[in-house]
Amino acid sequence: MSVVNKIIVDAKKESRSVLSEIEAKEVLKDYGIPVIAGILAANEEETVFHAEKMGFPVVLKVVSPQVTHKSDAGGVKLNLKNAAEVKRAHQEIMAKVRESCPEAEIKGILVQPMALSGRELVVGAMQDPLFGPVVMFGLGGIFVEVLKDVAFRLAPINREEARDMIRQIKGYPVLEGVRGEPACDLEAIEEIIVKVSKLIYEQKETISEIDINPLFGYTKGVIAVDARMVLITE
Amino acid sequence: MLNEQQLKQLDNIFNPRSIAVVGVTDSKSNVGYSTLEAIVEGGFKGKVYPVHPRHKEILGLPVYASIEDVPGPLDLVVAALNQYASAEIVDICAKRGVKGVILLAGGFKEMGEEGAKLERGMIETAQKWGCMVIGPNCLGFINTPYDLVSVFFPLKIPKGNISIITQSGGAGLTVLNRLLDENIGISKWIGVGNRGSLEFADYLQYLEQDPTTDVIGVLMEATDNAREFVEIARKTVKTKPVVVYKSGKSELAQYAALTHTGTLAGSPRMYEDAFHQYGVIYVRTLLELAAACKALSIAPPAKGDGIGMITHTAGPTIVMVDEISSRGCPVPNLSEEALRRVKELLGTKNSETVILKNPLDLAGVGFEPVAFGKFNDVLCQDPGIDIIIGVFSEHRNWRFPADEMIENLKKHRKPIIACFISKIDGVCEVMEQLHKAGIPVFTNPDEAAWGAAALAQYYRYQKKALSQKD
Repeated sequence: MSVVNKIIVDAKKESRSVLSEIEAKEVLKDYGIPVIAGILAANEEETVFHAEKMGFPVVLKVVSPQVTHKSDAGGVKLNLKNAAEVKRAHQEIMAKVRESCPEAEIKGILVQPMALSGRELVVGAMQDPLFGPVVMFGLGGIFVEVLKDVAFRLAPINREEARDMIRQIKGYPVLEGVRGEPACDLEAIEEIIVKVSKLIYEQKETISEIDINPLFGYTKGVIAVDARMVLITE
Repeated sequence: MLNEQQLKQLDNIFNPRSIAVVGVTDSKSNVGYSTLEAIVEGGFKGKVYPVHPRHKEILGLPVYASIEDVPGPLDLVVAALNQYASAEIVDICAKRGVKGVILLAGGFKEMGEEGAKLERGMIETAQKWGCMVIGPNCLGFINTPYDLVSVFFPLKIPKGNISIITQSGGAGLTVLNRLLDENIGISKWIGVGNRGSLEFADYLQYLEQDPTTDVIGVLMEATDNAREFVEIARKTVKTKPVVVYKSGKSELAQYAALTHTGTLAGSPRMYEDAFHQYGVIYVRTLLELAAACKALSIAPPAKGDGIGMITHTAGPTIVMVDEISSRGCPVPNLSEEALRRVKELLGTKNSETVILKNPLDLAGVGFEPVAFGKFNDVLCQDPGIDIIIGVFSEHRNWRFPADEMIENLKKHRKPIIACFISKIDGVCEVMEQLHKAGIPVFTNPDEAAWGAAALAQYYRYQKKALSQKD
């Protein structure tokens, strides 16, 4: 069984329609999409252990099938620079999540390296009721949320189509670099869009929605910082 | 997607040997009467059978009491009946082996669950017996190569190479009338209504292989198989342009409140992007649909997408630059060689009043038709300019540079669009001459720009479609 199929079968066994961040990133990795991988820690000692092994700064995120909006529930702590900060953050997350979502089953804490700050991008995909598998690209933050500055394509697409898609958004000059800021690695972005389009197309019977938000774009390369996937339920 | 046999059946419906009109009375206010009148006046050469239980003769034709009484094979039935009687007629026609039934009646799925149920049952029966339903809730169709007007608006329609697929009767007639105003002919005009057994994609598939159709215009409100539509469009675009007006843009407001990928389903943005991806020319208004179809129908195909303009009045070209560039089409600078020749033609005296750029504003020099023609020639020779718009204002003391434009078209075979600022009366004479020669004439800069942009977009989309495997 492929990595993707195994993850999906496992989730269905537990009648979960939303994959955990770890699972979603496993799927992305399987499709050749670079991700910030994390390690699941079961308790405070493990959290500190993995953070030290990984090297600071790190990020901690709560892992719970019931908590889909982790930041809102107080389940995310960024830029932790040493063991003491990690320890305190672990305790705070546990307390906050138990308070905001008392019914949530907490599977542990995801420890991951703090990504270098990059240009915030969004790559999404879904099974559209009219058009079938589609892929979406936009700049993150207010660009997508307020200005709806996104482009869609019916999946799967090739590199040329992805290039056209990136140039279509109004914020494109930002990616080319404005006000002395460096340009983003456009070819790397193209490649990710093509891969996500392939993923949503090949998984048209199983995955209903994919959100990579944010995807960080750098001068060289890109990386999926957070990922969310929803499965098709009968 | 229709199979070979279904395509043949649809062809048989568009070119029927015989038509029965059900629900005809001798009253002019009767929709069936108007349908019959349209068929007879349209010059239909096949057999026509009015059907009514009591009438004996209408419009000089013998009336049959029922569909069963009509002799010989029956290819097409037009039913001008209410929704319940329409459903019964479909049952009778399907079992009698009628190829297709046009249902004018509303009162089906657009009216809610009860109507939807009636429609579903009716379509199932039709499908079981292999009968195709056009509509319900539509005006029927026009097929000029076969002299058939089955819509209940008796119309005289010149033959042409544009075909229109329309969800709405009224909006579809708007575009038709706009074309008829200038005596621009059409091949087919198809009302799809509720898309009972035939979807936009099916009609498009038919028009793709229809030899009398060179340009396809579509007025769409909604479709259930949008993906199939764009996939068929991609194949169609290899040989003929597809232009779509999609209503429902105000949904944008609704989507603006939402941030999630999933909630953007079926949004206007997605339609627009999918059309662009698959090579469908997306237009924003009904007038633009008419202008785009007109330009694509009359002008020769463009061999590039660069648009050049010459004028003796700057304003209209500024309007055009806005319209053209907002559709993603380039207005390139003129080549060094073209600029050198423009200067040469102007001479030293006039060079001071003309700014050397695209659009080229000739000011006073441009009022003289022969001179206008020479500058037009220079633009045609510029390798970066593939489509030329010539702007000229109607004036009682100066003639239009029509002959000069035709001469340039013959010489260079690059599309030339005439933007003659005038009342429609003022251009009637030259319009006929220019249209026949292959130069579309518009009386305002908006439409001229939309026409030019459609030619430029089709150049790109066709090239892209041809480079892709099926």
